[in-house]
Amino acid sequence: MEASATKAEPRRNPFSSPMARFIYKRVLTFIPIMLIMSLLIFIIIQLPPGDYLTTYIAGLKAEGQVVEEAEIAMLKEQFGLDQPWYVQYFKWIWNIITDFNFGYSFDFGRPVWPVIAEVLPMTIAVSLITMLFGYLVGIPLGIYSAVRQYSLGDYVLTFIGFLGMAMPNFLFAILLMYGTYIWTGTAFIGLYTEEILLAVNSGAMQWYHVLVHPDFWARMTIPILVMGTDGLCGTLRSMRAQMLDELGCQYVLAARAKGVSEARIIYKYCLRAALNPTVSGLSGMLSKIFNGSTISAIVLNLQIMGPRLYDALKAQDMYLAGTILLVMGFLIVLGTLLSDIVLAWLDPRIRFEGRSAD
Amino acid sequence: MEMNNQPIIQVKNLCVDIKTDEGTLTPVRGVDFEIRPGETLGLVGESGCGKSLTSKAILAINQKKCVSSGEILFRDDKEDTVDILTLDPRGKQIRDIRGRQISMIFQEPMVAFSPMYTIGNQINECTRLHITKDKKESKRITLEMMKKVGIANAEKRYDQYPHEFSGGMLQRALIAMALVCKPRLLIADEPTTALDVTIQAQILELMKELQKELGMAILFITHDLGTVAKMCDRVAVMYLGKIVETGTAREIYKNPQHPYTRGLMGSVHKIGTLKADRLFSIEGTVPLALNLGPGCGFYDRCLDRIEGVCDKADPALTCLGGEHCVACHKCRKEGV
Amino acid sequence: MTMQEKKALRAQQRAEKQRKKEESYYLASQWTLMARKLGRHHLARVSLVILAILYLSALFADFIAPSNLTAYNSKAQSLPPTQIHLFHEGEFIGPFVYESAWETKKMSVKEMQAAKKAAQEAGIPFSTKQIVTDTTTPHKLRLFVEGPAYKWLGLIESNIHLFGTESGVGVYLYGTDTMGRDLFSRLLLGSQVSLTIPFAGTAISFVLGILLGSISGYFGGKIDNVIQRVIEVLNSLPSLPLWMALSAAIPPNIPPVQMYLMITVILSLIGWTGLARVVRGKFMSLKNEDFVVAARLAGVSDMKIILKHLVPGFMSYLIVSLTMGIPGMIIGETSMSFLGLGIQAPATSWGVLLKEAQSVTNIAQNPWCLIPLIYVVIAVLAFNFLGDGMRDAADPYK
Repeated sequence: MEASATKAEPRRNPFSSPMARFIYKRVLTFIPIMLIMSLLIFIIIQLPPGDYLTTYIAGLKAEGQVVEEAEIAMLKEQFGLDQPWYVQYFKWIWNIITDFNFGYSFDFGRPVWPVIAEVLPMTIAVSLITMLFGYLVGIPLGIYSAVRQYSLGDYVLTFIGFLGMAMPNFLFAILLMYGTYIWTGTAFIGLYTEEILLAVNSGAMQWYHVLVHPDFWARMTIPILVMGTDGLCGTLRSMRAQMLDELGCQYVLAARAKGVSEARIIYKYCLRAALNPTVSGLSGMLSKIFNGSTISAIVLNLQIMGPRLYDALKAQDMYLAGTILLVMGFLIVLGTLLSDIVLAWLDPRIRFEGRSAD
Repeated sequence: MEMNNQPIIQVKNLCVDIKTDEGTLTPVRGVDFEIRPGETLGLVGESGCGKSLTSKAILAINQKKCVSSGEILFRDDKEDTVDILTLDPRGKQIRDIRGRQISMIFQEPMVAFSPMYTIGNQINECTRLHITKDKKESKRITLEMMKKVGIANAEKRYDQYPHEFSGGMLQRALIAMALVCKPRLLIADEPTTALDVTIQAQILELMKELQKELGMAILFITHDLGTVAKMCDRVAVMYLGKIVETGTAREIYKNPQHPYTRGLMGSVHKIGTLKADRLFSIEGTVPLALNLGPGCGFYDRCLDRIEGVCDKADPALTCLGGEHCVACHKCRKEGV
Repeated sequence: MTMQEKKALRAQQRAEKQRKKEESYYLASQWTLMARKLGRHHLARVSLVILAILYLSALFADFIAPSNLTAYNSKAQSLPPTQIHLFHEGEFIGPFVYESAWETKKMSVKEMQAAKKAAQEAGIPFSTKQIVTDTTTPHKLRLFVEGPAYKWLGLIESNIHLFGTESGVGVYLYGTDTMGRDLFSRLLLGSQVSLTIPFAGTAISFVLGILLGSISGYFGGKIDNVIQRVIEVLNSLPSLPLWMALSAAIPPNIPPVQMYLMITVILSLIGWTGLARVVRGKFMSLKNEDFVVAARLAGVSDMKIILKHLVPGFMSYLIVSLTMGIPGMIIGETSMSFLGLGIQAPATSWGVLLKEAQSVTNIAQNPWCLIPLIYVVIAVLAFNFLGDGMRDAADPYK
């Protein structure tokens, strides 16, 4: 929609700076990617055999509930459920674009969007906190490891880094819970204490109230560790490797020959260059966090999007599952876009070439 | 030129050791030379003979695994003499010498600048570190130097990134960065090898002009004898971590004594010689500076070796008269 | 022969040897060189040995495991690892085990109350059952004993197992699970799945990656554009949720072999993208090289150019990046099976075994249910280190 509006204007480039032109170009590729993604997701959620509506009606009838024929007819009509899959796909997309209607959750018995909207702010908040944790800890440790190469600290960090990447995060979650259970006598399960949960359910508390509640942060510790460790260790490893590469560059020698201090060499020259793969790994980090949050479905029982996806897949609630995948994909694509912009800001060469160097 | 003819730098018995898994390498095995104000000393040798390590040792910017020993006495502009090797390589004192008193031009200008910052920023960093903290003043000084090295349109170039520069322009910028604080000694480590021949000549010409104007001394490191002839007052020929012959450029060219120097001279194509002679080449390769025997380092490749003498003891640098010294048993025996 | 001549001769021989050694170095193929460098990488060498042991024990799992997948002992639920003794009543009689089983404790009402109180104070659930070990009869361990029948690799029928007791009393090296099945046997048999899926998945990724990457890089243009967008989309979807969504499409109650194949295909669907990008990049840079242009001028077909001239040029690189992809697949399979979306009973894998570790109380009571975790971590680490070593070895500048 956005694109056609810009096209309609006379051919005059409103963007004079290379940076603005770069962002404009990147945003344009956003649309086809989201379209291909939605198609792919729809095909996937369409794969399981059987027709949801029939199963849904059968389920309702078996429970002895009254099935509203009118409602069913409306659903059929709205999503083209008795038509071939591509018609269903176009109806789905059409409804999303025109009406912001992502379909109907058979499991929850109401439209998909509100079901997701309930957990979306918390999902984004938790993901951001986890990401911040990964970067704030991973980057300094990576630098330390590189600057003090082959020191004891470097060896320890290297070991931890490898272990963190080798440990499946669901098991890490179990071990952490077991550890806290032994030390404190209570297993921290779920993001909310019962008190918070009650307040949230009654509407007395909004998600942003929860964020400042001390109990929430106590509960957040394990999930952050579980979801963030994979990304943290990845950041640590790539930061170390990249820093070592940069420290071996000729321009470091040239800066040293100029009389620049070691600390300044590291922070002004190497760090900025070494951040490149870490920043371009931002979307990878986000997808690792989503992986972690999905698997924490069973183990940690968090009130975020991952567990909902798991339940939706188990219940074959196609629109809900598809939309959650779509939202996750959207967030990651957004992350890629963001990281490309940061990269272009960091590295003038990318800005001028107008593409990311990966 | 300065009237005071005391050397500004004296390198005495400089050794550089590198610890590796297979043992300790000694790529620089006792180098002595001195440079007087306003003079250009050419340090000549094949790749791997230790020239670059020697030059980096002067700035104490070798990698951590390289250990330098000996003495490097530097006389700064306040006439104080310090031994650079005794300074902490990360400390304030050496950092004040680097860039301010001694600066360096690198072989490949394309990688000597960080791609992340503008050229102006990187040259100006030097000015701000050593001359003035005042932003306007330092930018003025930087721009002035950029103009002086022949960067046209300096104001615009100041805000451009290295990838927008050509190789020759970058080398000019690198020279500007090295000279912006008007150092007493400039180390030029093969400054023209990565450049086109026409640009090489321009850069050399530029360096000569600036030397005249600023009155600095130059340590010119190269493997190209043609450049040496053009640039240098004196020459030191290095082989396998040692200086094997030293003298004024004229003497070395007219009357090379060491078999290695003679080999080097023979491998230069001379324009104007009528005979289409084959270029002379020195047989073999430079041995690894690991577990060297007691004899002369050039023994294996030498055409004039004396068995029983040259493989028993390493010859010391002996003066033949004037500035001309050579480290060879044969030359001594013949009593030139 | 004088001393001097002898010396000269020996020196000559030595020089000859040195020359040959150098020659063999220069003439050695890229692969030999890689293998040599890999041999010098300590961690990679150790990893290789560990992986060899893991894979060999998976190959001979039916033989090494004293039990099979279906056998269980209702009296031996959640038993800790069986201790192997050497001395019976102070006398050395070689390795043997005692039989342990759950039995109901006989106690008076008073004793029961006291035990209940003690249990409450200690915070453990109270039970009248206890493990009773019969220390009167030793059961000697024997090699090559008869046990449950199996068909090794579906070819050789046998019932001989590496070790066991003649009386058939269970030897549970890693303890038993909550259903009384031998964890050691299940672990070995599960490794047949957990360790081969990554390889099969990698093979599929490999073919897909090379095929699509080379098409993309060689032809360029529109095809390239489409493939690149698809890769971007696949990279933008979190892998685990995508795997889960795909495996939700696997119809339930299909035979284990089909299940195995489907999981493999699902895992490999995502692994190929990275490889395809690498291949594409290499093609982009290689396709205008003189030797490719020469081949094209000589009338060699596009496919042949791709396979014969381009792919070998970066094969080593591909193999390295594949090795690096294996850990992700191991973790992927384990995670999916753990969530109940992957391998299903009666087949087993490390992830299936780890389902026992889903609850904290179960771990607290039977910590040995975490043993499969150690295997997962070791296998993943070993592949990581091997990949690292191979990357260094493939780098000609190191």
